Amino acid sequence: MTEVDPRVLARARARVTGPVADAAAAPVPAGLVGVTDGERRWALPAWPDGATPALLEEYQSAPMPLERPGPLRRVLAAALRCCWRNLDDDPWPGRPAQIADVLEVHVASVRGDAELMRRWAVGDLRRLADTGWLLLDEEAGTVRLGPRTALWPPESLPPLRALLRRMPPPPAEGA
Amino acid sequence: MPSHREPPQTLEDVLAGEAVLGVYRQMFAALARDAGAVVDDPEMVDIAETLLSAFAEAGEEGLSREQMRHVCRHYPAEAFENRLRVLKGLGAIREVFPKPNQLRYRASFTSVVGLMFVRRMMRDGGQSEMHRLLALEQLNVADPRMTAEQARDGAEGLARAFRLWSVELVTLTHSTIEELREQAPKLWGTAEIIERAERLHEAILRRWPELEDACTELRAAIHAYGDASRRAAARLADSAGTTRNLTLLPAESWRTFARTASREELAAVLEGFVFDAPAPWHDPAAIVAAVQEGPRTVPPRPAPPRPAVPDAGLVERVPAGRSETDRLAAVAEQVLRGRDRVPVGEVLERDWPAARRLLADLSAAHLRPELPYRLVWSDGLRVRPDGSPSWLSDGVFERTGRAS
Repeated sequence: MTEVDPRVLARARARVTGPVADAAAAPVPAGLVGVTDGERRWALPAWPDGATPALLEEYQSAPMPLERPGPLRRVLAAALRCCWRNLDDDPWPGRPAQIADVLEVHVASVRGDAELMRRWAVGDLRRLADTGWLLLDEEAGTVRLGPRTALWPPESLPPLRALLRRMPPPPAEGA
Repeated sequence: MPSHREPPQTLEDVLAGEAVLGVYRQMFAALARDAGAVVDDPEMVDIAETLLSAFAEAGEEGLSREQMRHVCRHYPAEAFENRLRVLKGLGAIREVFPKPNQLRYRASFTSVVGLMFVRRMMRDGGQSEMHRLLALEQLNVADPRMTAEQARDGAEGLARAFRLWSVELVTLTHSTIEELREQAPKLWGTAEIIERAERLHEAILRRWPELEDACTELRAAIHAYGDASRRAAARLADSAGTTRNLTLLPAESWRTFARTASREELAAVLEGFVFDAPAPWHDPAAIVAAVQEGPRTVPPRPAPPRPAVPDAGLVERVPAGRSETDRLAAVAEQVLRGRDRVPVGEVLERDWPAARRLLADLSAAHLRPELPYRLVWSDGLRVRPDGSPSWLSDGVFERTGRAS
């Protein structure tokens, strides 16, 4: 067995496993950026020169095919509405929110059978959690924004802020 | 004869043409008087084909010499004359009435059929011909008018064909990959051919038991062919697996492999590869677009009205259009580092993706009238095969002094 550079190995592992929480003090492999919320640290791929994968879409080569991206992103928007409460700050790390609240916001902002929408939205929440966009704690029934939201460049956020201001508020606040 | 029409031919084209000619030479070797008698340029066959199809459209009137020349106007004159002479000499094109000073010509049916046959032979090296021959023989054997002598001839002919075929396949077992790929179509569907041949053999033997010796010969030839093709196919499958050359096997074989292989076999294909975990990207703009395009319960809330005069709350925030200008100015200042002008070549001395972006920013700064910078290009080009970027024009990026 040949000796593999442990840093290379760490990077390969991070790329294979996707964002996995580690101790906050753990070193970040080269080529990745560490995103920390104080206790834990996620290693995420770093892009050169502040570009994001959105650049690929400008060149019309999608980085990864997404199933039903529209509904998925609408669920993400609902989660953002509930977790990113202080819109003047950065979205990351945000606050935990009740999954039920996110579902309510989602149902209130889209058309369709409410029960069906809830069920689909739960599936979308899990998919988003699998890819590091949300942190889902199904036992506690809470959801938080995932480490990937920390990679949004600040200059791309204003339209999102404007959108979230127009979305219906979570029920606890509206009541 | 050299090719006249399109001089810049790629090597691939030449190879394809050469393969076609190879088939022609092999087919007409039995009829040729000397080795130079068969065409040595694929274009010449194209001329013949163009002519024959023009004759088919012309109908019973035939074509005059001028019309023939017009049809072949894309080919050089001497090639056309040469071809016409040969085709006339061999009787593929002849006068409508055999009398002197005849100006109209017609084409021979046999030549057209011959050419069709040649084209088909080319596609799979004669394998489908073998299928047809076997099917025809089968019909003949069932025909009550067939004599034992004819059946013997048929059996002997087939035995000879199978013998030669298996010799070719045996050499294939030891040949190079390129040759293997070229000859690969000969190996496809061999099981069917063997089955047909054996059926034919049985039919002959049942009807004429006295042809035992010819049938033994045929049986041995079929078995030899079966062995040779199996061995060549094994070689082909091995090479296909190790070279990852997907053209060595027909698409059906790959599909069958994908359906029938075990999980370990399938996994072995990508052994040593590491795949990134799925990492879809949700850009804020994409989220906004998704929500705005989504079906809604209530009509969209209109954006809150904005006062016509600048709002005190917005004064501190930088407007969006402004920030791009600022960014470009920052980039330009970083490049200039206090100097008034800097050679572009010096600035771009870095890896190409970064240099490309920087060049784009500098050009943008140059094109914005409100920014006091410009790019000045001069003549001259430095080619540096080992450097990055690999060529550079001389030019300077400088401050113009007129502020916005």
